[in-house]
Amino acid sequence: MTALPEWLRPGARPSGGVSPRPAAHRLLRRTLGAMGRSLALLVREDDGPNAGALRAADPRAKLLAAVGLIVVATFLRGMLPLAVCLGLTLALSVAARVPGRRLLPVLIAVPLASAALMLPATLNVVSGGSPLLVLWRTAGGALGPWRLPEIVAITGDGLLVAGRMVLRTTACAALALLLAATTRPQQLLGGLRSLGVPQAFVMVLAMAERYLAVLLRSAQELHLARLARSVAAIGVRREEAWAAAGVGAVFRRTRALADEVTLAMVSRGFTGEVRLLRPARWQRKDWLLMAVAAAVGAALLILDRRLA
Amino acid sequence: MSGPSGETVFAVEGVRFAYPGQPPCLDGVSFEVRGGERLALVGANGSGKSTLLHLLDGLYFPGEGRVAYLGRPLTEDALEETPFGPRFRQEVGFLFQSSDAQLFCPMVEDELAFGPLQMGWTQDEVLRRIEDTLALLEISRLRGRSPAGLSAGEKKRVALASLLVLSPSVLLLDEPTAGLDPRSQSLLLEILEALHARGLTLVTATHDLTLLPHLADRVIVLSEEHRLVADGAPERVLADTDLLLAVNLIHAHSHRHGRLVHSHPHQHVVAHEHVHDHGHTHED
Repeated sequence: MTALPEWLRPGARPSGGVSPRPAAHRLLRRTLGAMGRSLALLVREDDGPNAGALRAADPRAKLLAAVGLIVVATFLRGMLPLAVCLGLTLALSVAARVPGRRLLPVLIAVPLASAALMLPATLNVVSGGSPLLVLWRTAGGALGPWRLPEIVAITGDGLLVAGRMVLRTTACAALALLLAATTRPQQLLGGLRSLGVPQAFVMVLAMAERYLAVLLRSAQELHLARLARSVAAIGVRREEAWAAAGVGAVFRRTRALADEVTLAMVSRGFTGEVRLLRPARWQRKDWLLMAVAAAVGAALLILDRRLA
Repeated sequence: MSGPSGETVFAVEGVRFAYPGQPPCLDGVSFEVRGGERLALVGANGSGKSTLLHLLDGLYFPGEGRVAYLGRPLTEDALEETPFGPRFRQEVGFLFQSSDAQLFCPMVEDELAFGPLQMGWTQDEVLRRIEDTLALLEISRLRGRSPAGLSAGEKKRVALASLLVLSPSVLLLDEPTAGLDPRSQSLLLEILEALHARGLTLVTATHDLTLLPHLADRVIVLSEEHRLVADGAPERVLADTDLLLAVNLIHAHSHRHGRLVHSHPHQHVVAHEHVHDHGHTHED
């Protein structure tokens, strides 16, 4: 029988050393947990018994309508037309029975993120305009060829620029969400393919949709395995270094998995072309959807020009 | 194209295979698989069992020697030819060890539809076969689910269903019961027995000797040197303790009886008897 070393017995401790502080590891754990929850929301299991009528529409019609309205939203300059566009999208989402747990994160996260990005645009030094609120006064003067402003203030014009961008990004995100929430991923990918998006691009999207959850679970397992062997807090810097090394390990697993998936596809006769079960067919209601989307887009553009 | 029972389905002749930049993982392997046979490829981890299954499925190609299916060499060119390529893919199903790799579609229904749609079958035929196959494996309730959210046993059944829907005549199974709980394992073995009774040829790679009585009428043993070292009936192979020790399928096991330390070859499939010097006999 193998003789075990003396130190390998319950309760044995090395002599000397210092008592470590308990490990925290909250940052990475929370990040991975939040990513997992977001993915679970993205990967819908089924439509449920109360699926709205919009779900039954041809994915190509929905795709064209959504992309068309997103393009229109990017051209709108007035706050009112943008607000109308957002309002209509939200009303349609409610009518299509998009769950609130999918809608709310978008309605909170997107405006906050775009507002944070647009903060500099509210200042007179970026957007110009008359000051509404002076933040601080400077001594003025010049820095080389550049003249320094005497005040840094939030302006009405700046608020308008930032507000317009926040409304626009929220409306576009809500439109994209409405499309994603009312179309099965496979149908959406089939729609992209039939609208001429290259096969390789569609396949990459399909694989990403299927395997993000697998890879995230792999990252969580790596993290848990390390957590199980950690007795001391290692600090944010080393935590970051470990996370970077973990990315490398997940990347290696990704490659191995990708190779195996390719073989599994070839084994079942894959020759490079995705073929769909129940391929979508254009019906009268799909043309109607396109016509309504085109009419709404045109009305928004006309309203915008009149108010300009 | 599938041959009658007893005909040579696969002929493997002097196959040598190495992954790029690595030593050979199969070295001069030759054998035949006959129609309707249940063949097990056994060997320790890394002996080349999985690689051999990949060669039989025309996913890898040997550096030396050849693999033939119903007399036709399996080459990249041959598999790109119509009708041989599609017919081969339809007739030979490969159950991968990792169900996550095998289940790549967003929904179980799409997973089952993938193979038949690649074959160019009609929508009605595909839908009919999906329904029948799901019912056969008692997984109709999983039809609209995402494979990502299934248990290991459910994933394995869906993976098997994705092959059976093509009505194959040969199944290549790579460690089919690995990671399954006892109930799922037993159910899978029952399904495989029923399929074999229907005339399917089963080729299973495993290092679990307890499966052999359920999965094989014939066993091929690969050594850690990646050579074929035995080919025979399961009872004969399992009774050859020296062979099993040499290929690392059983191990020298030590245990105590009171103060006495006692060693003997150990495996978990065949009960062995031995008498101790303190008088009693026991089975292990």
